[in-house]
Amino acid sequence: MITFSRSQVIGAEFLDNGTVRFNGIQEDHIYGMEVQMEVRIADGEILNVKGDMKRYTNFVCPQAIPVLQTAVGLSLLEAGWDKKIMREIGRKGCEHFAEIIIECGRCLKQAVQSKSLHDALAKDPALDQKQFLIDNLKPA
Amino acid sequence: MTLRFLRNKVVEVETHSEGILVVSWQLTDDLQKAEVNLLFQLPQLEILEAKASIDRFVPQSCQSASELIKKVEGISVGSGMRKIVAGLLGGPDGCSLLEEAVLESANAVILNFTRPGIEIAESMTDDDEKLKLFQEMVKSSPRLVRSCISFQDDSPIMKELNL
Repeated sequence: MITFSRSQVIGAEFLDNGTVRFNGIQEDHIYGMEVQMEVRIADGEILNVKGDMKRYTNFVCPQAIPVLQTAVGLSLLEAGWDKKIMREIGRKGCEHFAEIIIECGRCLKQAVQSKSLHDALAKDPALDQKQFLIDNLKPA
Repeated sequence: MTLRFLRNKVVEVETHSEGILVVSWQLTDDLQKAEVNLLFQLPQLEILEAKASIDRFVPQSCQSASELIKKVEGISVGSGMRKIVAGLLGGPDGCSLLEEAVLESANAVILNFTRPGIEIAESMTDDDEKLKLFQEMVKSSPRLVRSCISFQDDSPIMKELNL
């Protein structure tokens, strides 16, 4: 039987041409966490973040919620951003919040690519999708 | 507001007989679909077999995913694994998706073994007993020390432990 399972769901909304809002949910047999954050597309800077700890293991865990604010101002595009998130949010706060933020960060380029392709298809439904990505974008 | 991008990821650990753990890691989003399956042998948690497939828009560096993933066969979950996997699958010419899949699968294996201890703590009604159980967990798993806010030096769990 399955003795451990984890699901992550990341959704991206484009609030305007310059800002994307990520909603990240992580549910597993032990933990249940959720993060919402807005990111400036141009430089990947986290503009704001909030999190909810639904299931956790001990009475100290909720003290990690305010630590999430350390993420504001960090860039998801600079070198080593994921290690920085794990160090600042994970080690000093909650590793599972950090995991969600990192997954949102990994989705940033993909989400922008997906939107560009979506917009291009609206103008030209016969567009060669694979060629569009090869010509215009670098898949992550 | 409608979503312009949606990613779903699932990692599952299945315990088989004869000391084998089967880990299935799957990702699907608007642009990519990937699957990695790993067989871990207890007690060393060595990767016996590794399989991978990537579909939809496959990054150039991941075109040969089914061959690349074979590089991790023979490595074990433990300290240094992150660097080893990065060396085998990561880097500018590597396939970061496979690197993430292997590390997340290994993390799921660790959490698979963490779950029973957490369930014991849940069954306890006495707060002092619970605290002692968490302190014993840290003592027996040094990797937990300073791994998160619960196990930082100023946490009530860490008081008097001197770790």
